[in-house]
Amino acid sequence: MENAREMLEQLRKSGKPVIGCFPLYPPLELMHSMDLLPVVLWGLRDSAGDTRDADRHIQPFACSVARHLAQFVIAEGPELLDGLFFYNACDTLRNLPELLREGIAGSRRITPPMFRVHVPVKLNGTADYLSKEIENLIKALEASFGVRFSEERFSHSVSLYDRARGLCRELEDSVGEGQLTFAEFAGALHRANFLAVEDQITLLESKLASRAGSAPRPAVGRLIVSGILPPPRAICDLIEQAGLRVVGNDIASMHRSYATAPSEWRGAGDYYVRFYRDHFPCTTLLQSSDRRMEEILEMVREREADAFLFVGEKFCEYEYFELPYLEQKLKETWVPVLSIEVSIDDDGGAETFRTRIEAFAELLSSREGLHGA
Amino acid sequence: MAREKTRAGKHLSELLMNAYMGIHGRAAEGALVVWGAIVVPPELFLGFENVVFCVPESHAALCAGKGVGADQCLKAEALGYSMDLCSYARIDIGCLSDGYKDSPTFGLPRPDLLVSDNNNCSLLVKWFDVHRRAMGVPHFILDVPFCYGPQQEKDLAYILSQFRDLIATVEELTGETFDEDRFRQAALYTAEGVRQWKRFVSFAKHRPSGLTVFDSFVQMAPLFTSRGTPEFAEHYKLLADEVAERVAAGIFPVPQEKYRLLWDNIAPWHQLRKMSERLAALGANIVAAPYTSCIGSLEGSFAPFEMDEDADPLWYLARSQNHSVCPMGMDLRLAALGSAIEEVGIDGVVFASNRSCKVFSVMQMDEQRLIGEKYGLPTVMIDVDHADVRKFSEESAYLRLEALLENIEAGRAGG
Repeated sequence: MENAREMLEQLRKSGKPVIGCFPLYPPLELMHSMDLLPVVLWGLRDSAGDTRDADRHIQPFACSVARHLAQFVIAEGPELLDGLFFYNACDTLRNLPELLREGIAGSRRITPPMFRVHVPVKLNGTADYLSKEIENLIKALEASFGVRFSEERFSHSVSLYDRARGLCRELEDSVGEGQLTFAEFAGALHRANFLAVEDQITLLESKLASRAGSAPRPAVGRLIVSGILPPPRAICDLIEQAGLRVVGNDIASMHRSYATAPSEWRGAGDYYVRFYRDHFPCTTLLQSSDRRMEEILEMVREREADAFLFVGEKFCEYEYFELPYLEQKLKETWVPVLSIEVSIDDDGGAETFRTRIEAFAELLSSREGLHGA
Repeated sequence: MAREKTRAGKHLSELLMNAYMGIHGRAAEGALVVWGAIVVPPELFLGFENVVFCVPESHAALCAGKGVGADQCLKAEALGYSMDLCSYARIDIGCLSDGYKDSPTFGLPRPDLLVSDNNNCSLLVKWFDVHRRAMGVPHFILDVPFCYGPQQEKDLAYILSQFRDLIATVEELTGETFDEDRFRQAALYTAEGVRQWKRFVSFAKHRPSGLTVFDSFVQMAPLFTSRGTPEFAEHYKLLADEVAERVAAGIFPVPQEKYRLLWDNIAPWHQLRKMSERLAALGANIVAAPYTSCIGSLEGSFAPFEMDEDADPLWYLARSQNHSVCPMGMDLRLAALGSAIEEVGIDGVVFASNRSCKVFSVMQMDEQRLIGEKYGLPTVMIDVDHADVRKFSEESAYLRLEALLENIEAGRAGG
């Protein structure tokens, strides 16, 4: 598989400015409508390799997402990115912009222009504030890149992203039906992340076509996987080998990103008010915590899941603050939970999870018939 | 040898005891109990007759200072809360889990309203959500945009509108009408107390310093129990007056002060006495910290930001919402640090990399380098956790601190 650097090099050949967006949920449609190519900067583990540059700027108790992002932007940013966008997604990310500037300045290169938006953490009564933030972002992008915003083009971009999100949901269903492995699905989404949305659609459509007719694989348990990023490939393989099928996911870079988008709106500002207000719940969208448990329980019911696997991103306090409550509520509904923790150097250490995942699968197969008791 | 307790030290104990007993007493009589994050302005609640305000972070710091922090953390961890979470939060959740069995203040009264904010950290919102779910009480979030430069007008207006919403929420919960005069008076008491606080910390400029940073850490407590009251203003006047007298009389906490250091981060609550004494024995005095110098200032500066008698107190409180270091970008932090280094006269900087406070800590590696480059000062980074002693290695920290002092000495010898 190509790594992020190679994929971004390809993307740049279009001649359009590439905007590296800090995770988690940037206004992709808006940037695309302005002839920019937004890319969410996650899934950089393969490309970043080690974190030697980032480690000169960030302590090791930051999460791997932040450290890989910093490594990638410091090492490759000026050559591959024409701009950087970020919003107040988490406390670590809000501290990064000046730190990246320092990292890049250390090698006497120029930091790409940075664009910031503050997304209100509560969305009742804050629509005007967020609309103004979007308006200011539009002005800043226009000034930096000589591009123009139009509502008509924005509407077209929204429809393209809607199509891409819909395809993601179809592919997720295919994984649940055993026609595609979770690792294949996660790999396709990773590849799509580094494409223009038009090419994402082509890729996802071809992935859907290729799975047609595949015989479903048998499974000893139906699993929902939760976390910030999909588990490393080796852990995905362990899940498969243990006979578990991923019938749904609550992963920030996957389902939480493609589950929902506004169906009606009045202008870009209003679109993003609805986008963040009605977004699929995420631990980082502070206003969504009330809805999160309901959505997850609904997903468990709807997908007829037997079990829940939490893949904790080491040092992601947003996720870990909610974990005890999540576990408690799932266990109250007789859904067993396995919680594992992945840290920055766990790519090569996936075997350490084998026993736990296999034991979990055995537990599920032994409790057949107990579900709902 | 332990220092004799000062008048202000004794007064502090009485003030805190009275404050906590007052909160419990008034709560028992039916006052609305608000739990707030440390930067939430308590003056807003003093605009009401029958509301009391407490700060779980401050109670957690007190637990850590009294040596019971790690035990509370263990209780939270047994409930499934990760050891990587902020130790204040773990102490608070742990304390609550067994009804505050080990609390030095008999705990906090059960809240009727939770008010968190995200300017110090967004995790406060997650932490207070834990209580909201457990206790079924409303949770009001103050959303304060982070500052990479001076606070913007749009953000100031946004904060002001949320203050008004918060007031309306309390009016609804209490059935009381917000009393502007009571509020103004509370804001004025705070302003006077903070003015005296600034006077107190300014004695760090004296050589030898009139205080250690450990004194200022301990003396912060009334900021979270007694703001907006006459006792608050009186206490800090007493403190500043006493330090002035001692300086005039030639009484200094570290009389043989050879090294004047600055501490960058939250206080290591479990180490105050030990660290103070060990450093003093080496002739070293940590004389200042952004954590204490930022009180009464604006983002990017430790200069006093005083409230005029005629000013709108709501505006004043909103304007100063980004003062507490964590809501500032690196450029603002460096500007403030730089001014402290120059004004106070600092020989070396201790960057305390705090596992329990990423927002304060993630930036320090660059700050350390830039401060070293700009001011030619020796610096050191040590690992701490502000309230969980299990994550602090005393000997590793002292090894580095001693190396810092040697560096300062070497610089002097070479210069």
